[in-house]
Amino acid sequence: MFLELKDLHKAYGQGDSRVEVLHGIDLGVQKGEFVVLLGPSGSGKSTLLNIIGGIDPADSGEIIIDGEKMSGMKERQLTLYRRRHLGYIFQMYNLIPNLTVRENIEVGAYLSREALDVDDLLKVLGLWEHRNKVPNQLSGGQQQRTAIGRAVVKNPDILLCDEPTGALDYRTSKDILQLIERVNQIYGSTVLMVTHNDAIRGMADTVVRLRDGRIRDITRNTSRIPAKDLEW
Amino acid sequence: MHNPLHRRFPRELREETGKYLAIFLLLTLTIGFVSGFLVADSSMITAYNESFEKFNIEDGNFAFREEMNRAQRKKIGNAGVQIFENYYADRKMENGSTLRLFRERSEVDLADLMEGRMPAAAGETAVDRLFARNNGIAVGDTILLADGTRLEVTGLVALSDYSTLFSDNNDSMFDSVRFGVGVMTPEGWEQAAGREIRYSYAWKYESPPADEAQERDMAEDLLKVCGAAGELEDFIPRYANQAIRFTGEDMGGDKVMIEVLLYIMIVILAFVIGVTISNTITEEASVIGTLRAMGYTRAELVRHYMAMPVLITLAGALAGNILGYTLLKDLCAWMYYNSYSLPTYVTLFNGEAFFKTTVIPVCLMAAITFLLLERRLRLTPLRFLRRDLGRKKQGGVIRLPAAIPFLSRFRTRVILQNLPNYLVLFVGILFANFLLMFGMMLPSVLQHYQETVTDRLLCRYQYILKVPFDVMDDTHRLRSFLKMMEYSEAIATENETAEKFSAYTLRRPAQNGTKEEEILLYGVAQDSRYVEGVPASSEGKTLVLVSSAYADKYDTSAGDEITLEEIYEDGAYTFTVAGIYDYEVAPAVFLEQKALNRTLDLGEEYFSGYLADTPVTDIDSRYIGTVIDLESATKISRQLDVSMGKMMWMVDFFAVVVFFVLIYLLSKIIIEKNAESISMAKILGYENREISGLYIRPTTIVAVLGMIVTLPPLTAAMQRILKWMMTTEMNGWIPFYLDPKICVIIPALGIGAYAVVALLEYRKICSVPMDEALKNAE
Repeated sequence: MFLELKDLHKAYGQGDSRVEVLHGIDLGVQKGEFVVLLGPSGSGKSTLLNIIGGIDPADSGEIIIDGEKMSGMKERQLTLYRRRHLGYIFQMYNLIPNLTVRENIEVGAYLSREALDVDDLLKVLGLWEHRNKVPNQLSGGQQQRTAIGRAVVKNPDILLCDEPTGALDYRTSKDILQLIERVNQIYGSTVLMVTHNDAIRGMADTVVRLRDGRIRDITRNTSRIPAKDLEW
Repeated sequence: MHNPLHRRFPRELREETGKYLAIFLLLTLTIGFVSGFLVADSSMITAYNESFEKFNIEDGNFAFREEMNRAQRKKIGNAGVQIFENYYADRKMENGSTLRLFRERSEVDLADLMEGRMPAAAGETAVDRLFARNNGIAVGDTILLADGTRLEVTGLVALSDYSTLFSDNNDSMFDSVRFGVGVMTPEGWEQAAGREIRYSYAWKYESPPADEAQERDMAEDLLKVCGAAGELEDFIPRYANQAIRFTGEDMGGDKVMIEVLLYIMIVILAFVIGVTISNTITEEASVIGTLRAMGYTRAELVRHYMAMPVLITLAGALAGNILGYTLLKDLCAWMYYNSYSLPTYVTLFNGEAFFKTTVIPVCLMAAITFLLLERRLRLTPLRFLRRDLGRKKQGGVIRLPAAIPFLSRFRTRVILQNLPNYLVLFVGILFANFLLMFGMMLPSVLQHYQETVTDRLLCRYQYILKVPFDVMDDTHRLRSFLKMMEYSEAIATENETAEKFSAYTLRRPAQNGTKEEEILLYGVAQDSRYVEGVPASSEGKTLVLVSSAYADKYDTSAGDEITLEEIYEDGAYTFTVAGIYDYEVAPAVFLEQKALNRTLDLGEEYFSGYLADTPVTDIDSRYIGTVIDLESATKISRQLDVSMGKMMWMVDFFAVVVFFVLIYLLSKIIIEKNAESISMAKILGYENREISGLYIRPTTIVAVLGMIVTLPPLTAAMQRILKWMMTTEMNGWIPFYLDPKICVIIPALGIGAYAVVALLEYRKICSVPMDEALKNAE
């Protein structure tokens, strides 16, 4: 198993205001697998993604990536872990405003010794024409493509996507999903995508449904629906 | 691969030109001035130190009543010294100033020609550069002496034995306005000198002393030889010669203050930059969170955000140093040339100045920004992603009563939101007001002193008599006795306003950080018309009044005991202070004449001077050591005005620049921080004028309040600074005075500078686009 989650617990607040967000999550993910985490707001899916991403610590439980335990890692080790293994895509693109598209992608490339070719990636992402523009000259979809480029350019083992289409319209969302699908297929990255859009589950190998901080069910699709064929 | 984040720097520089330019200019100006000062200071000190050898400065000088004969020369020459004639004559000029004319020197105390040429014919003179400037004399001009003699000025010089223009070594302050020196050809000098020739001789030791202790011993031995050789009128070894030593002792004294000002400025700028960085971190929180989530380390981000301020400081320091070594060095040298008659200097590279103006500021800026960033970036990536940067949890909001009108509450919220900015602004205003007040206070204190000193004098003229050296010659007792008789007759006066008094100078030793100072003791009659209420002393306890200048300068009050020491020998005297005498002109001690004579063992009938309201004209000038009149009482203030007063406009200018830049930067940050809210207010229908009222007025309130509330503590600080200057660096006393006009001018200048900033900020508000608020909602 490439990624193993064992009995993860997480709560926020203290005393009366304490809220248990995750109640013992157990999950295993194979290398190159496309996993969709589905669930309504407050189900704990973003928290789970953040814990896997090493930006939010679990209260208890174990995360093992490629045989390496995350628990007990110091801040610097966690940073190196993210640097070596993870790519992040957020709903709000969080691009650096005074860097061009190309440079924003280079921000990710800089972190890896085995970075993908930025020019090739720009073409794959359909951003070649826009490579010298700064974020506020781009549409939302183009900005999210740039954010995807920034995340995948370092060829991460795991691509964490937190509602990547949450701020986009239907057509642009489909474009972005297709792109993530291609990244998964071309570069073999393991993808964990958080979404509340039920229609997206069809494109995943595994669908994990969360509710109230617990895994409600795990479904394994025998065949994946191409992103372009998804409808909602 | 280079860190792609570095590519933000030139763009940030372009986008934030105003901010970085303001910081850069302020740094350049500050560092330039300090660098210029330090370079000029060290180059000048080197020039001064080298002048001793270069211009063969004397080891001392003495004066005889008559020209020495061959036997006298031989006798003194046998004491291990070389003697050089250095005769002079003090000539009054038509404008009342005194010009001391020397024959051109060729062996000792050489002159440094700074402009023009040396005199070549009778009727020509080369005068001291500083004196010439202070009296509006230029090369080619003609000086008119009081007796009608005309002297053409062929050159401007610095005489190496008059780097400070003390006319009399007993003076507490030099006077480069009313006293100057000049050289002439021997023939010209013979014609111009008149009959009042001072037979002064410079000496150089054949075997130079190893240290100052040996120098003192050698001088004492020589004094005995000279005293025995003739009628000695003056004897000044180099170590006691203020005209030679004062410059060296005074130079470098302002260095610490200037350096402290630089570091205060750097710290203030670092905090301004800190506020800017803080604002950037808030703006870029999600980007920072993303970068951290991607694997960028905290150290990489700290370095990234530190880079610009450190680079700007480095650029400012380098530009400042270039400016310092070129333009500003000359300006600072001009300040020295304004006070002293220094020789030509050569600019020397100063490693210490470079270290202090470049390495320390850059390190200081790096350290402050590092600490701030390290603390701010300690939050988890998730908190950055959630823009949850506050340290306090929600619920800590200060409640404002609903009774307060909405707009006032809004402004209060703006102030509360920007408290760190306003705190830095307040410190900046304090600093700028400090500089402004310092720049304005000194000229006003000096002017006020000069205007009111007439009413403060004990009497119009104080004459301190001088006992010729030969009267005290114990090797020729008979001659000494006869001279004493002659002296006693010569010092009697017919002047009806004259009142005898005993004057004796003791020294107050340096203590608690104060400088050693000579204190004049006035022993006056109990029924004196000039000093009233002198207490009667008993045998065991000597009661005195101290002047209010003494009391203020040395924190003395009635009931205290003061101990004063002999200047040239061992011996200390303790006096009990019975009260304070209202006399602000100088630190002095007043006591009963017989008590003074008894305490100091001077003899019952002893007196050594006259207090008078009209000039005493019937005593030979050679028996008069010092005259304290209006002119001498204003010497300190006049000299301070010449040497420091005229450069105060620079301090004022700098203060206004500091004020302007700080307010500009901080109010700019406030507007930028609220760009989204301003944009939203525009969408809601607020007009630019109304929005300005919300976002600019809080800054106005803080700025104006800051300008006003800092005045009282600064006034108190100024009072202390003046006192500190007086006690640590100067003899005498100038009471503090704050011209009420200053309290109006300072806020007016501040408000003027602020008005310009407010206008710029108003334009900025007008330019905030309405889609600003919509960007992040996309």
